[in-house]
Amino acid sequence: MSNHADAQASLELVLKDEIIRMYNEVAEDPDAEFHFYHGREAAEMFGYEPEWLDRAPPGSVSSFAGVGNPHERADLREGETVLDLGSGAGLDAIIASWAVGPSGKVIGVDINPAMCDRAQAHAADEGMAMECHEGRMEEIPVSDDSVDVILSNGVINLSFQKRRVTEEMYRVLKPGGRISITDIVSGRELSQSIVNDPKLWAS
Amino acid sequence: MFELLEDAGFTQVKSAVVPDFRFRHESTRNAAEGYGVKAVMMTAVKPE
Repeated sequence: MSNHADAQASLELVLKDEIIRMYNEVAEDPDAEFHFYHGREAAEMFGYEPEWLDRAPPGSVSSFAGVGNPHERADLREGETVLDLGSGAGLDAIIASWAVGPSGKVIGVDINPAMCDRAQAHAADEGMAMECHEGRMEEIPVSDDSVDVILSNGVINLSFQKRRVTEEMYRVLKPGGRISITDIVSGRELSQSIVNDPKLWAS
Repeated sequence: MFELLEDAGFTQVKSAVVPDFRFRHESTRNAAEGYGVKAVMMTAVKPE
């Protein structure tokens, strides 16, 4: 491995820890203040229906840390299989499960196994069985051509290998499948000091 | 991101800015603005 590849691999490991730490903190201390809006306040800001937020398990709402509303253009239909990439505490997966109904299926993928457990517990509170796999978005642990719709909310920006992520999304979607994602983009290349600082990158 | 989706093979790639996205703290907002940071909504289709 080259020095550059070594450095990137090492930075990715540190970043993974920082992402897990930060989102655990949001889930465990939802009343804390972060530099991003989270919880019900954020979800309402992005146009989530109040009825959704009343109906969803409170822990899934208070841990919400998305950057928009991927449901707005997802046009989910009954019976579809949905993948929530970076499913966190499960709010988006739970909302998707209402749309696809019992004949559909929602699969979560998250880098943090504890978050997968949390999402599955929240889904169980809603009476739904949610599959959740610990995994990286650069190597989505889902078969080729198996998903109708991919949702993702504020997660892909955390990857150092965004090209790989888009290729993986393409691989797991069925022909005719679609994505509806919300995420952060930057108009200029970030400075090296931000790239090298896991705390800043994870934000 | 738009180009990466097209490079991967997606078609009908569309994006729109999330109008209400903002950071909580002014200092972060200012720094983000300097880098042109914004939240976007993107949709795309894998061809049949």
